[in-house]
Amino acid sequence: MSTAAIVRPPAIERRVRMAGVLVCLGLLIQLLTLIRIHPLAFVAFILIGCPLVAAGLILYLYSILSHAEQRNETRQPT
Amino acid sequence: MISPTALEVLFVGIAVTLAALIVARPELTRVRGGKILAFVTLFLLPVLGGWLGFSEHMERAESTRFCLSCHVMHDFGQSLYVDDPSYIPAKHFQNNLVPRDHACYTCHTDYTMFGTMHSKFRGLRHLYVQYLGHPPAAADIKLYTPFNNRECLHCHAGMRVFEEQPKHNKTPDMMAKINSNQMSCMTSKCHDTVHEVSTLKDATFWKGAQ
Repeated sequence: MSTAAIVRPPAIERRVRMAGVLVCLGLLIQLLTLIRIHPLAFVAFILIGCPLVAAGLILYLYSILSHAEQRNETRQPT
Repeated sequence: MISPTALEVLFVGIAVTLAALIVARPELTRVRGGKILAFVTLFLLPVLGGWLGFSEHMERAESTRFCLSCHVMHDFGQSLYVDDPSYIPAKHFQNNLVPRDHACYTCHTDYTMFGTMHSKFRGLRHLYVQYLGHPPAAADIKLYTPFNNRECLHCHAGMRVFEEQPKHNKTPDMMAKINSNQMSCMTSKCHDTVHEVSTLKDATFWKGAQ
């Protein structure tokens, strides 16, 4: 029997990874909209690319803020 | 020389690659260097990339190619090549009186504080009508409001040939009326031949454009 246990990555890393996925997707869509000069490309940039990037940014900021809060709580003397 | 679009593509490409690295190896963020990399990759670069992309799209939205990319605008694009100087847009376009790559925007934006923004909102409505509504025939397309002399005067005001033109000074108060938009350049039977898309089938076109 293997003694190695499957270690789940910490919450902050899971959130950072998710944020990275959202930012990657958003930036890729923004990149694709630059291929054509067309009003629909502009709308896709504004309505799909930008919200995905914004969601990634917010998730990343939330993950570092919540991690900092958790660390402060564990450091406080009982 | 690298074009701004190529620079934008390169920049976003680098941002995507770095973000993909963070996705593949989130444990990098355990050390100080990784934390800095994550901040640059997931915050600074996307913000900068988004701003660059937005500015590129705004610039493109002012181009003639952008305006004519909808099928309903095809005839208006054709009217710029009519071989007849009485067609005001054609005369301006063919003689470089307006920049050819920004021809539509130059005359059809409002030269006011929020003119560009209003133009963009109107553009969104046009997009809605084009794809979700019932686009009218080209000949039925009309301006929302009568063409304001302000848009003509943005270039013509102060021009000697404009101000000393005898036709513009038939009466002592004529120039004042033109400048205050009381007498329209377009609808006062002076410069009233504009795009006239319904007459294009009988028109001849400028061959030098090819």
